[in-house]
Amino acid sequence: MSTHIAGVGSTRYDAFPESSSRELFAEAAAEAFQDSGVAPADLDAVYVGNFVADLVEDQGHVGPLLADHVGAREAASISVESACASGGATFRQAVQAVESGAADAVLAGGVEQLSVADAEHVTDALANAADDVYENEQGLTFPGIYALLARQYMHTYGATREDLAAVSVKNHENAVENPLAQFRKAVPMDEVLASRPIATPLRLYDACPISDGASVAIVVGEAFAADHDLDTSVTVLGTGQSSDALALQDRAALDRLPAAERAAERAYADAGVEPDGVDVAEVHDCFTIAEVLALEALGFYERGEGTRGAVEGETAVDGSLPVNTSGGLIGKGHPVGATGVGQLVELTKQLEGRHPNQVDGAETALAHNVGGSGASTTVTVLGGV
Amino acid sequence: MPAWFDAFAEAVAADEQWYLTCGACGEGTLPPRTVCPDCGATDLSREPLDDRGTVVSFTEISVTVPKFHGETPYTVALVAFDAGVTLTGQLRDATAEDVAIGDRVALGVERREGETPVLTFRPA
Ligand SMILES: [Zn+2]
Repeated sequence: MSTHIAGVGSTRYDAFPESSSRELFAEAAAEAFQDSGVAPADLDAVYVGNFVADLVEDQGHVGPLLADHVGAREAASISVESACASGGATFRQAVQAVESGAADAVLAGGVEQLSVADAEHVTDALANAADDVYENEQGLTFPGIYALLARQYMHTYGATREDLAAVSVKNHENAVENPLAQFRKAVPMDEVLASRPIATPLRLYDACPISDGASVAIVVGEAFAADHDLDTSVTVLGTGQSSDALALQDRAALDRLPAAERAAERAYADAGVEPDGVDVAEVHDCFTIAEVLALEALGFYERGEGTRGAVEGETAVDGSLPVNTSGGLIGKGHPVGATGVGQLVELTKQLEGRHPNQVDGAETALAHNVGGSGASTTVTVLGGV
Repeated sequence: MPAWFDAFAEAVAADEQWYLTCGACGEGTLPPRTVCPDCGATDLSREPLDDRGTVVSFTEISVTVPKFHGETPYTVALVAFDAGVTLTGQLRDATAEDVAIGDRVALGVERREGETPVLTFRPA
């Protein structure tokens, strides 16, 4: 009994100060209904990935609110909060509901609306993903956390600022062709290196932007798909999820991400796929160092070798393992709760052969979504026909 | 300003800082903990924590949250203590230019009126 993505939809990622979570979410859902042929009344459940609507929009209880706004008022609805991994965790809950037989059709969506508040308020809200007392109250910012990882990685493996900047150059370049992306302008290496420091050794262009947006995937079981004569070209082969201590100071290591390693191990085992069987991947590059650490945690590179991906062009669209063909979080944008579902939207398009940066012959795809500095991670493996 | 951290900071100020050690597996952990994060045992006991530690990583912060406006740039360091615990705090009497991974530093604390105290590290 296999589980499928029947259809996907997504808003563009950008600043939409005149919009709201309910409008963005409904826009993405309407596209997914049309793409899938599934109607709101067919849904058993609506799961919503969201991080800070309560703090930024003063709106909690977004599960039923957004179920109502997509025409599924009576469906079982919940919101799933795992910081920046909310979207990936939401999708995994939907897959598990279908796999268990508890549901036949589930809308797994994510949304974040941040531009309605001022930047400082948003930064404060997003910092809730870290340990408040041991990290935030000590003056450690979110970029600062990744800077600590970057410094330690550079120290251990001799990686350079240029090695990290190559990730930003590649992902900005990929975003140029993606109509859903926030930044559609290439950024050369010298601009990344000269951008203003935010937390040494990281600079502004090592980081993803603050974004608004929503993404939706409709997850269905095999029998439901057959009964409704749905075109389900994308199969969920496997998922994995793991956690770690919230605070960096409580982690076993700083130059690797053990939660991602465990999540990947489970997803690969579930899918029956090895890392070298993956044709295209979307990984959580909230900062350049995060993509490097992801490539190693996912088994694509040995430890200390992850910088080779962008530097040697191996993770470029025409490379041996294209990574973040969407532009990633750095180029496409990062509407926190939507990001993990947005990755699956991009990969569904890759597997269906309709991506703006299409990878030839893509049959197996992997998504990797991280919450906080690595305290929660989901990995999803998808297969095409 | 949670009471547990206030008590921890007070102990640091008096140079009587402590950590928790697990009677079952021996792992060190920081308060407050009821359950050992490594093995799940609950027989945790307080042990004195030496005030010297080693810099594991550090970053100079230029863009920060409202609470620390007017204080940038400042340097945050992760410092590992021999007992097997690591603390996050701000560097004092030195800038990011003056430190390297592996340097020894001494733990201190700054009380802030109505705010959560900030742990500090000085070259040692
Ligand atoms: Zn123990």
